[in-house]
Amino acid sequence: MLPLSLLNTAQGHPMLVELKNGETFNGHLVNCDNWMNLTLREVIQTSPEGNRFWRLPECYIRGNTIKYLRVPDEIIEMVKEDAVRQRQATGGGGRGRGGSRSGGGGNSGRGEVFDVIFNISYYDY
Amino acid sequence: MDNFVPGAFFTTSASLVDSVDRKLLVVLRDGRKLIGVLRSFDQFANLVLQDTIERIYVGDAYGDIPRGIFIIRGENVVLLGEIDLDKEDEVPLRQVPVEEILIAQREEMEARQRREKLKNKLLHDQGFSVDFTETDLY
Repeated sequence: MLPLSLLNTAQGHPMLVELKNGETFNGHLVNCDNWMNLTLREVIQTSPEGNRFWRLPECYIRGNTIKYLRVPDEIIEMVKEDAVRQRQATGGGGRGRGGSRSGGGGNSGRGEVFDVIFNISYYDY
Repeated sequence: MDNFVPGAFFTTSASLVDSVDRKLLVVLRDGRKLIGVLRSFDQFANLVLQDTIERIYVGDAYGDIPRGIFIIRGENVVLLGEIDLDKEDEVPLRQVPVEEILIAQREEMEARQRREKLKNKLLHDQGFSVDFTETDLY
């Protein structure tokens, strides 16, 4: 499960994108590519200081301007299911490099993730 | 991180593979410290951290903010290191509530800006050029 395949799995889900300049974008991921370029819908943009907000119906983000992405906790489970489905489809075993090892470590506070994501500007600098 | 083979090139992938499923501290270029479990990485050292908290340090105090899953673009990482689970509770720091640490952080930032302003003014009065503005220095 590579970082970019996790991003692929997150399509259609809410996420938070922070750019290198500190601006954040909250929205639903519509599409992404191998360069981490993204398109989002129903976006709330926040200024680096966290004091100004804009609503955008959709936006495009060039991958190389991104600092990090935050995705809902559930996505990790979904990517595991995707992997199982793919293995069944190809009928082969084996793991890819960097693949996730068996589960481990229970998740805490799942279900609050959407609140956290949409209230993030409260905590941000 | 002890899979260094003499004669082999140092690569991020070779050194990170042992850290998968371990608890890591990641420092970003903007000074943020994230603590989470490394689940995945790629050839650019893009990282996936699970059950992440953001830890803010001010003096001998720190505060934790739960953040969840991060996909960090590798180029923003300054350093990362495994956390020794046996020793992590022995640090001589005190944990304070989030609200408290955020206030302390803002005060620290404002104090630094005041110092910087004063310093620039003094330098300017002495005839020095003060058009240098501090960036992240990386």
